[in-house]
Amino acid sequence: MSLRTVFEGRPDRRYVMFGGKGGLGKTTLSATSAFWLASHGKRVLLFSVDPQASLSDIFQRDIFGKGPVSIMPNLWAQEVDADRRIRDYQDEIRKKIIDMYGFERVPEEIDNYIAAASAEPAMEESAIFDAVVDIIVQGDYDYYIYDLVPLGHALYYLSMAKVYDEWINKITKLREDMGQYDRVAATMRRQETVEEDKILEELQYIKTRINASSQILTDKRRTAFFFVLVPEDMIILDTRKAAELFARFDVPISGYVVNRVLPPELGRAPSLPPYLRSRISMQEKHLERIRTAFGDQVLAYVPEMERDVTGLPMIERLAERLFGNGR
Amino acid sequence: MAEEKEPKRGGFLGVFRDIVYGMSSHEMTRHAVRTRASMEHLFILITMGDLLGIPILPPYYSLRLLPYVTPQIASWKRRMLRERDITDVLG
Repeated sequence: MSLRTVFEGRPDRRYVMFGGKGGLGKTTLSATSAFWLASHGKRVLLFSVDPQASLSDIFQRDIFGKGPVSIMPNLWAQEVDADRRIRDYQDEIRKKIIDMYGFERVPEEIDNYIAAASAEPAMEESAIFDAVVDIIVQGDYDYYIYDLVPLGHALYYLSMAKVYDEWINKITKLREDMGQYDRVAATMRRQETVEEDKILEELQYIKTRINASSQILTDKRRTAFFFVLVPEDMIILDTRKAAELFARFDVPISGYVVNRVLPPELGRAPSLPPYLRSRISMQEKHLERIRTAFGDQVLAYVPEMERDVTGLPMIERLAERLFGNGR
Repeated sequence: MAEEKEPKRGGFLGVFRDIVYGMSSHEMTRHAVRTRASMEHLFILITMGDLLGIPILPPYYSLRLLPYVTPQIASWKRRMLRERDITDVLG
């Protein structure tokens, strides 16, 4: 199996994630796959929530916090600015309180709470999570490619869907129970109507969104998660551990991509310096380990290019190497 | 409010119905309303516990509910933070 057949053989697949340790080429592979799909007529949104996102770098354009930016026909890229999202969200809550109760300004205690809640580390992560929900539930694109943050964090984001799912189900249940008491009291007093519960409506809205994203992230038919690794000892060990953890959160792992493979023909060059010869023979051993550990789940061995992959022409070259240039 | 019209009740039968309600259902209604109020406070605690320094997950979605509970925050804090004594158990 190859990356190409993985995309061509699964037309239902719409959500693609590339994960792995930092600096191994998640962004490069995300951008290359997005480029290839877009040049085959699919509408693709490539997005990242990493505050140190590198989509701007790889496309050599500043796209941070600007919403989906068109990169080429059919390809859009987006980098989420979590801080701005939190600020906008706080303002939205303040405005709602002022509008609902006709206050001149938000009561100090409430305003302090809004400020304090937003300073918590969990706030940024939840805001990012919600930004991703926003992006994926819209459904405007044929493919959503998620250039994930490094492993530990990525697992945290992915597991959040599950945690929120449980949290929201519990408090919605509590709110529904409260509604029952309202109805009991109303019936006994022979009142005909019970006031609508706005909180319950709000909870149900949040619930639908979280459930939808949780379903998407764990749906094997629609979603694919690819691990990016390089032929190095520690990375192989870490990837194996991470794969076990991800599987526990029902993330559908669809394959592995081995990046930065030194060309094997280099090893046959007659006057090779000992340093390079040693690197290449070490790489051989690691590649063998990767083949044993991941077998036919390895979808591609990506060659180390002669220069950094930045800018569309270089991405196109890598896409040709990775997917072949036939249509 | 004073100017609100009381729904018209039908003579003797209406009075009888009210007496029956007072004897049988009033206590249950009171109980339902009180339970509902306690649950409201529990609900605010679960979603807004941070206001009392109790870390509650996750603040992002709690903020979305904040506008709706804003008027109740003061009474909720009073109830949560007041001292308790034996009359609480008896009450």
